[in-house]
Amino acid sequence: MRLAKEYCWKGLTTGANVVAIFLLLFLSTALTPPQKKIAAAEHEVKAVYLFNFAQFVVWPSDVFESPASPIVIGILGKDPFGSYIEETVKDEIINGHSLVIQRYGSAKEIKNCHILFIHASLTPRLDNILNELKGKDILTVSDAKDFTKQGGMVRFINERSKIKLEINLNTVKTTGITISSKLLRLSEIVE
Amino acid sequence: MGIYAQDHNNTTASAAVKLKKLSIEELMDVEVMSVSKRPEKLAEVASAIQVITGEDIRRSGATSIPEALRLASNLQVAQVNASQWAISARGFNNVLANKLLVMIDGRTVYTPMYAGVFWDVQNIMLEDVERIEVVSGPGGTLWGANAVNGIINIVTKNAQDTQGLLAEAGVGTELRGYGALRYGGKLSKNVYYRLYTMAYKKGSTATLEGDDANDEWTMAQSGFQLDWEGEKDQLKVQGNLYDDRPNPDGVSDIRASGQNALARWTHSFSNGSDFKIQIYYDHTWRDFRNGFAQRLKTYDVDAYHHFRLGKRQEITWGFGYRLMADRFRNLDLLRFEPGERNLHVYNIFIQDKINIVPERLDLTIGAKLEHNSYTKWQFQPSSRLAFSLTKSQTLWAAVSRAVRNPSRIDTDFLLNAAPGVPFLQGNKDFKSEEVLAYELGWRMQYETSFTLSLATFYNIYDNLRTAEPGPPPLNLPITISNGVEGNTYGVEFMGSYQPLAWWQLRGGYTFLKKELTIKPDSRDLNGGRVESNDPEHQFLIQSMMDLPGKTELGFVVRHIKELPEPRVAGYWGLDVRLAWRPNDMLEFNVVGQNILDEEHLEFIPASPTPRNMQRGIYGKIVCRF
Repeated sequence: MRLAKEYCWKGLTTGANVVAIFLLLFLSTALTPPQKKIAAAEHEVKAVYLFNFAQFVVWPSDVFESPASPIVIGILGKDPFGSYIEETVKDEIINGHSLVIQRYGSAKEIKNCHILFIHASLTPRLDNILNELKGKDILTVSDAKDFTKQGGMVRFINERSKIKLEINLNTVKTTGITISSKLLRLSEIVE
Repeated sequence: MGIYAQDHNNTTASAAVKLKKLSIEELMDVEVMSVSKRPEKLAEVASAIQVITGEDIRRSGATSIPEALRLASNLQVAQVNASQWAISARGFNNVLANKLLVMIDGRTVYTPMYAGVFWDVQNIMLEDVERIEVVSGPGGTLWGANAVNGIINIVTKNAQDTQGLLAEAGVGTELRGYGALRYGGKLSKNVYYRLYTMAYKKGSTATLEGDDANDEWTMAQSGFQLDWEGEKDQLKVQGNLYDDRPNPDGVSDIRASGQNALARWTHSFSNGSDFKIQIYYDHTWRDFRNGFAQRLKTYDVDAYHHFRLGKRQEITWGFGYRLMADRFRNLDLLRFEPGERNLHVYNIFIQDKINIVPERLDLTIGAKLEHNSYTKWQFQPSSRLAFSLTKSQTLWAAVSRAVRNPSRIDTDFLLNAAPGVPFLQGNKDFKSEEVLAYELGWRMQYETSFTLSLATFYNIYDNLRTAEPGPPPLNLPITISNGVEGNTYGVEFMGSYQPLAWWQLRGGYTFLKKELTIKPDSRDLNGGRVESNDPEHQFLIQSMMDLPGKTELGFVVRHIKELPEPRVAGYWGLDVRLAWRPNDMLEFNVVGQNILDEEHLEFIPASPTPRNMQRGIYGKIVCRF
């Protein structure tokens, strides 16, 4: 019994050594510096996405009180962005509109908003929230799992540590919003 | 209780500019950082905090909590034998070190036997660790008794983040065998759970003569966690049970087992205030297999409420109650009298964070009033000032008082030379050990890729433990007393730097000096020196790299200067981990630990005999489905 145990043990350690040597060999042939990747925190990437949407989305002109009225990016629920999002939109002008950030405690507070980020923690109340927003020309964005299925427009998807987009075009079409074809081409479209 | 550091990253304008310049295609190709998920607002915390992330641990090749704690350069960590460790902050390190508060998911792991931690029974799957917060310096106000020199707060991941099946197995020369299985699932919308089971066997260390020390250690543990996250409420329920067979003296193995369960409910109000209540039960049994055994049942309830008062103030207040019911199976010669005791600890605390100058100056004042069964009411106040020099730099200063309450070994211990002839005895009048700590620190955070911090301290201690000789001619019995006073001072320097997206470095240096003296009425047999044996200098650097071909290379170098008394030579330690992750499901690891020398000594305990730590190599495969 003891002998069998020792053999088993020897076998395993030898196995581990072989793996080690294999890895070292593998490494020495592949040790060229990798391409420099840009890395950022998740909330930073998402904040910049929200800013980008302002450039890729066209709203009916009547949603702005005047041609100089700001584009409002709203955050409903928990705010993952902190001051980063303010810094992102600071001093930016898109088609004559400046950008401002609004934070909302509930969907009822939302009056004049153009892009709305809904935190995933609001998933249980999502149906009510989206109902409340129905008919308004607000681009709804969230990272909630079934967001586009439940009637949201744009969902952030984590795909192998990158953040991609999923867009429900049918929902978008029920409003006066149009999304540029470039953004649509780069996103996954769901029905 | 109060957790200072929260997830998220600190932000700066230039980072926003960098990302904004990207086209939408490039934005879709940005890697979301996982290596450097540094807790947010560290820059604002007015204390010496260091955070070890789960990722740091994974990339270090650590196989147990004490090994993971080596990654905190503000801790003194020394392995004593296969299953025993001496761990402390700001000195006073010892196998029975008693000035540190250690929590696992809010559950204090503390034995009232000696006011310390049995490290061998503190296990979790390291894969489940979200982060370990290590605060050096007193935290008695918010965190409770025993946070004299530091706090270790181990936080595990939410069940939501450990979904699916994970299986891992490892084998090696020191880690003789390791296996773990975890499954995470979803019960219904917003209700997630995980189940796990793990076991390991650690190989023997060596005697100083180079023979096998025969101190092999095996451990098995299982547990579960359930997390429910509502819109405003969070509920966490967890439970663990374990069986542990350490064998520190290499003669007969200790049988330790235990079960614990915890429930915590957090509620956030829409006005930004929140409320938390937590209860737990912890049962431990430890049979030393020489007739002596200890059973401990801990019941604990804590409540906490945090709210804003006006525009400038944030109040945190709460209360806690703990009952520790222990029972000893005494020997004739070695006993605790009484053999059974119920220890009650209750407290109330309040803290006010006042924003004196918006975005510039914060003053945090607080106090805890705590009652314990030995020394009754203890007052632990603190005040902390944080001044933001610039958006990324903070200067902080603090003055606090904390106490180490007596434990059974201080008051109720009895070691007989012969039946009825006491040799060493506890002291019913043992007082709480006290510290008055002055701290001054500086911290900077540049984007998320570069952080530096410097903490300095000057601690004044009183009533530290001594062993006083009895009346002549035999000078027996020796009695435990509070005869040492003195001060310590030191510097803790820490930093992290991410030079490239695929390379991260972190590390630190700690300098510590102690000046302890015996009070005029003390005749301490050990000249005031037995309670601690700490290096004056220690240094750590950890490197984590993502290499091409889906490989990861990591190393941890540490240098510990000599321990003065009893003298232990200084040493360099190097751990190296090489891993290959061909896909998201598989991970192959080869880890070498302490590879610089065949063996070295890290600590000389009073008992059992000192052991040498040996070089170890292990391989581990992790599968995630």
